[in-house]
Amino acid sequence: MLDFSILTNNFDSFLEGLKITIISSLIALLSSFILGTLIAVMRIAPVKLLNWLGSVYIEFIRNIPVLVIVFFTYLSGNFGGMTAGTIGLTIYTAAFIAEAIRAGIMSVPKGQMEAARSTGLSYGQAMRMVILPQAIKIVIPPLGNQFINLVKNSSLLAVVAGGDLMYQGDLISAKTYITFDTYVFVALFYLILTIPLSLGVGFLEKRMAKSN
Amino acid sequence: MIEFKQVNKFYGDFHVLKDINLTINQGEVVVVIGPSGSGKSTLLRCINHLETISDGILTVNEISVGDKKTDINKLRRNIGMVFQHFYLYPHKTVLENITLAPMKVLGLSEKEAKDTAKHYLAKVGILDKAESYPSQLSGGQQQRVAIARGLAMKPEIMLFDEPTSALDPEMIGEVLDVMKALAKEGMTMVVVTHEMGFAREVADRIVFMDEGRILEEAVPAEFYENPREERARLFLSRILNH
Ligand SMILES: Nc1ncnc2c1ncn2[C@@H]1O[C@H](COP(=O)(O)OP(=O)(O)OP(=O)(O)O)[C@@H](O)[C@H]1O
Ligand SMILES: [Mg+2]
Repeated sequence: MLDFSILTNNFDSFLEGLKITIISSLIALLSSFILGTLIAVMRIAPVKLLNWLGSVYIEFIRNIPVLVIVFFTYLSGNFGGMTAGTIGLTIYTAAFIAEAIRAGIMSVPKGQMEAARSTGLSYGQAMRMVILPQAIKIVIPPLGNQFINLVKNSSLLAVVAGGDLMYQGDLISAKTYITFDTYVFVALFYLILTIPLSLGVGFLEKRMAKSN
Repeated sequence: MIEFKQVNKFYGDFHVLKDINLTINQGEVVVVIGPSGSGKSTLLRCINHLETISDGILTVNEISVGDKKTDINKLRRNIGMVFQHFYLYPHKTVLENITLAPMKVLGLSEKEAKDTAKHYLAKVGILDKAESYPSQLSGGQQQRVAIARGLAMKPEIMLFDEPTSALDPEMIGEVLDVMKALAKEGMTMVVVTHEMGFAREVADRIVFMDEGRILEEAVPAEFYENPREERARLFLSRILNH
């Protein structure tokens, strides 16, 4: 039987961890969305150098374990655990979001860009006001999946003392020596976050499928 | 106003435009016809630099289109374009479709842009659809909105690439009527279309293309009744008999 005293005695720690996990994931989601959009546009803009830089970023980052990226940001010595972890997650997730957004942009008919450009809009204006708003709709479900991954990956904050849910679990198990039960509660807290997200993504996917 | 001098274009090894020489004067309506793949769209798209020419000289109002020093966005303000598949922005209302460029490119206020948009919507006969989304309109209505979107920039030139080819037959007339009215007001127009009634009524010249070359240029009556080129004859008999 699960030892509920672990939960009740350390409830504040769990809540603190939950809070940090949520904040870190949200900040990383927002920043990786902005960075990812930028990289996606770099990859398809009509400038060879930008295409190349975008590709290098994506190939490089996607093929390094996120744990290593988080370590590097932390070891750069400029940030505390939570900030370093969030930056690391952003750098990593941006590469995946960039690919999702690129796919979204590619799914917008080429004629949309041509129609916009032929009215005198610049490439940047056409991208911002015509193409991206259409691409984003298609990207929302994959973006939701990235958010779920982000919440789970944020457990890496623990390795740089980021104060998140996993980190609190580590502290509690070290204190109580009741390792298994502690991590069961940690897992349950993650599920509280990820299951609604997962249901939400499923709902969005269904609605998208219908509207097409 | 538009001048092609010895223009050639390649897609890789494929020679799509061959030694094009063509002058289009202000207020002229030129209809371009020819078999599929003959380079009509490419010719049209070079004019507003959606495609780049490989060599030769192409000028619009004496400004070289392909020149690195040419501000292409500025040039394009003056050249409206209407596509076969309309390409209205699906996430914007009809009014927003039309006001976007005048606001962002010409710097009109929202009020000015809306007034202009409504003026042109009235002109193409669908003012009542101003607040609708493109998906709520018929094909003919969408194409008329696309024309209004082009006109709202007050261009001197309008390009049309098969504007009625994607429409159900009963909607072709309403779009052609708008184009005819425009032609009669003196708009400079380059139109890729096989609509012979339109060409006969408003075209000053027919340009017949085949395999990347301009084979014949003639006034409509002359061209349709007595084409000089054998290939033009063949082509006409094919579109007449289907
Ligand atoms: N981006 C491209 N790359 C390579 N070849 C192309 C490209 N665009 C067009 N072509 C080729 O160039 C030729 C001319 O194309 P274009 O679209 O100008 O013909 P068209 O006369 O407008 O034909 P249609 O009546 O079918 O619209 C075609 O053979 C086409 O396959
Ligand atoms: Mg064509």
